[in-house]
Amino acid sequence: MSAIRAATVTFDHVSKRYPGTGAAHPGAVEDLTLEVPAGKICVLVGPSGCGKTTSLKMVNRLIEPTSGRILIDGADAAEREVTDLRRSIGYVIQQVGLFPHQTVGENVATVPRLLGWPEDRRRARVDELLGLVGLEPDLHRDRYPAALSGGERQRVGVARALAADPPLMLMDEPFGAVDPIVRERLQNEFLRLQDSLAKTILFVTHDIDEAIKMGDLIAVLEAGGRLAQFGTPDEILAHPASEFVGRFVGADRGLKRLALARVRDLVLLPAVTAQLGDDAARVRRLDASDSAGFVLLVDDEGRPIGWIGPRQLPDSGGLAAAMAAPMSPLLDRRTTLKDALAMLIDAEVQVGIVVDERGSVAGLVTADEITAYARREREAQTA
Amino acid sequence: MIRWDVVQGNFPLIASKLVEHLALTIVAVGLGLVISALAVLAIRDSRRLIGPVTGFFSVVYTIPSLALLAFLVPITRLSFLTAEIALVGYTLFILTRNLLAGLASVPLDALEAADAMGYGRMRRLWQVEVPLALPLIVAGIRIATVTTIGLVMVTALIGFGGLGQVMLRGYNFRNDTLVLVGFVLTVALALAADLGLAWLGRTVAPWSRARIG
Repeated sequence: MSAIRAATVTFDHVSKRYPGTGAAHPGAVEDLTLEVPAGKICVLVGPSGCGKTTSLKMVNRLIEPTSGRILIDGADAAEREVTDLRRSIGYVIQQVGLFPHQTVGENVATVPRLLGWPEDRRRARVDELLGLVGLEPDLHRDRYPAALSGGERQRVGVARALAADPPLMLMDEPFGAVDPIVRERLQNEFLRLQDSLAKTILFVTHDIDEAIKMGDLIAVLEAGGRLAQFGTPDEILAHPASEFVGRFVGADRGLKRLALARVRDLVLLPAVTAQLGDDAARVRRLDASDSAGFVLLVDDEGRPIGWIGPRQLPDSGGLAAAMAAPMSPLLDRRTTLKDALAMLIDAEVQVGIVVDERGSVAGLVTADEITAYARREREAQTA
Repeated sequence: MIRWDVVQGNFPLIASKLVEHLALTIVAVGLGLVISALAVLAIRDSRRLIGPVTGFFSVVYTIPSLALLAFLVPITRLSFLTAEIALVGYTLFILTRNLLAGLASVPLDALEAADAMGYGRMRRLWQVEVPLALPLIVAGIRIATVTTIGLVMVTALIGFGGLGQVMLRGYNFRNDTLVLVGFVLTVALALAADLGLAWLGRTVAPWSRARIG
């Protein structure tokens, strides 16, 4: 990877007014001033028509502000040549906007092509990026977007936005068009990516849960395009600045704060595992009292297959996959505690299996442990 | 029915008229495409112009071909120009309609992405819009070409007409073979153009057949 490049973005009294209409024109922005430090994710969140997308599009000048300035690393965006400016800013939208007539590789190479990179450098960059977003280059490079799933398209969209290693990325509801399970995975993958990329990211969503999960900073906008509150997710959940913000973040603020903690913040319980083919008589002697006598069956890479209860466990002979009961939800260390709890409730189980990047079992999490964590946090807050 | 000695005796005439037919068609569709493309580029972003211009082309399209020729001859004489003005005139409506439909079929999100990634106007047109509009543009060229091949016959009345001349001569000299040869070759030409352009329409859009799994 190239050296980390990130830009500071400053909104300086930026307004967008639409002539001939009242102040409450959808998409209008009123005197927005805020600064996003380099390398941070700032989420713009608010009800529809609050001007969050307008604010985003004023950064790469798809929309020109009526007044005020937007500074990128101190330089006024309005003074830069517009195509030049846009090639230096990554852009991801909900509908992805891949070019249907170009292959995945050509799509990803768009900005490098516009910048005139030589062919071999473009090719190497495409493969690097596809790998980065979790798509096998040899399998996906020459496919057309129509042959991809929604999640794959979204990944290609992110790879395309990253192609020229821009110091700033604009993302407009980037995960809004995929189903909740894929969205959760894409969010986690993106956060993992951001750990190493450390780009400055402006991220628009209408979903407060997504804002809390993705944002280092959150700007809550209200109707009329006014900034209602700007702060860290924890500040906004703990101390909403106005009644509007309080209502917007919702009555379940306590539950939402669970979204600020992740599985990795808990001490994982060790999982009692047995490998495929292990001798049942030996497995019977393992102490699995923490998981009600259930033993987790794994394959030779340590990836979970399912639970084997005391009753399914034969007296002797090798363990087989058919003996295992359906699995508990699989959690990532990055899964928020709120999502983890929701997954456990949905699956009607007490225990979730935490897996690492390669899918091997890392440990267990229980619903009790999560609620105990929430209780401790609340007590710490009020104390 | 068909007398091969007549075909043989008139071979130079038939061949030259076939070439003329093809030339009249290609020039008409080619010029029509250039004029339509320029018109579409001029009017596509203007709500004020788009109605009147397409309206005018559709009025031209409804004028009966004989009437149009009769109207033009006093002005431009019995000339190649007269023939082409009429032929080009009929392609404009079909081609502008398909060009506009083609451009309108380009997904808005692809256009927004192109703008946001720093495409200039011309580059966006040639590298994003035109390729994506191509299936509908080729479909328009196909209809215009087949229509023109038929209309070329009518220009026989002002001394052109390609294979229409062959047929006309057949009528005048009561020569059934020439009538039949003119007819069969015209139909064959139209069919070949239709199939060829249908094939082209599929090959210009390989991406639309990429829906696998």
